[in-house]
Amino acid sequence: MHELSMTAGILKAVISNAEENDATEVTEVIVEIGKLALLNPEQVKFMLDVLSEDTIAKDAKFVMEEIPIEIKCKECGYIGEADNDDLDHYAPMVECPKCENKLIEITNGKDCIVKNIIIEKPDD
Amino acid sequence: MHKVTEIEVQHNIMKANKKLADKNQALFDNNNVFCVDFVGAIGSGKTSLIEDLIDNMNGSIGVIAGDVISKFDAGRFEKHNVPVVGLNTGKECHLDAHLVEHVLDDIPMDKIDYLFIENVGNLICPVDFDLGSHMRIVVISVSEGDDTVEKHPLIFQSADLVIINKIDIADAVGVDSEKMVNDVHEINPSVEVIETSLKEVKGLDKVISAIEEFKSN
Repeated sequence: MHELSMTAGILKAVISNAEENDATEVTEVIVEIGKLALLNPEQVKFMLDVLSEDTIAKDAKFVMEEIPIEIKCKECGYIGEADNDDLDHYAPMVECPKCENKLIEITNGKDCIVKNIIIEKPDD
Repeated sequence: MHKVTEIEVQHNIMKANKKLADKNQALFDNNNVFCVDFVGAIGSGKTSLIEDLIDNMNGSIGVIAGDVISKFDAGRFEKHNVPVVGLNTGKECHLDAHLVEHVLDDIPMDKIDYLFIENVGNLICPVDFDLGSHMRIVVISVSEGDDTVEKHPLIFQSADLVIINKIDIADAVGVDSEKMVNDVHEINPSVEVIETSLKEVKGLDKVISAIEEFKSN
């Protein structure tokens, strides 16, 4: 639901990094979105296409990658990935894959990261 | 000719909020202010609950009224003679640490013991945004239907206290409030759940005790 403001933040980071590196054009942007971030990657991609018009990223290919959920179980001590593909929620409940307990600490999967960009710049 | 270069950016959009949230909390701690973030759907009773807490709790309370248009709720709090700041989000569906930071200068921190932040009515977006509060209270009402907990698991996973409000009308709307309590515990086994009817003044004393206990721990 807050894809617009988050996307504006993503684009700001892309453009400032591109400009710092003297880019004439941004050709590709890789964005990582956690499976537990309440952001729909398809909507973010759509808004990046719209918001990047009239910027040096206007022709960029926006690639969305997924950050898996990682947890620490407070019950059995399991540390690692917790897949939630079997659940029908987009914003899913997470439980320990080993002991099925829900008393867990989520250690990864909530972030939204601009991973890297590919730019064109003039030859030195 | 142009050359193509790959730049590693690694810019975490969420971390910017977390950093500001930590800064907000440091300010609360330096002033011995206990901050509570009230989240819940539109019409769940967040404003009424905060009004009742102002009237019945020991200690001075300040309020940040967050809403798309905040003047309506802010006006209600002002009638209780406490410091109030309205925080308009305009088109945004949640408060974030940056918006909260902006209004903290208008709160007399040295004169309050508690800062209550009423978040925008929404069970989805506030999940991702830590404001720097010490405690998050999720307020829902039976009129939202007894499947509302199941449909919004993440907000309940992030809750320090859950309030199921308007239990006086549960029969009228055909809702089993016990199912809602069980659903919360299915998602977050350790969280305290309190059933309230603000209209019939049921459960308010338990809410006050829960906040005071959380503050002292």
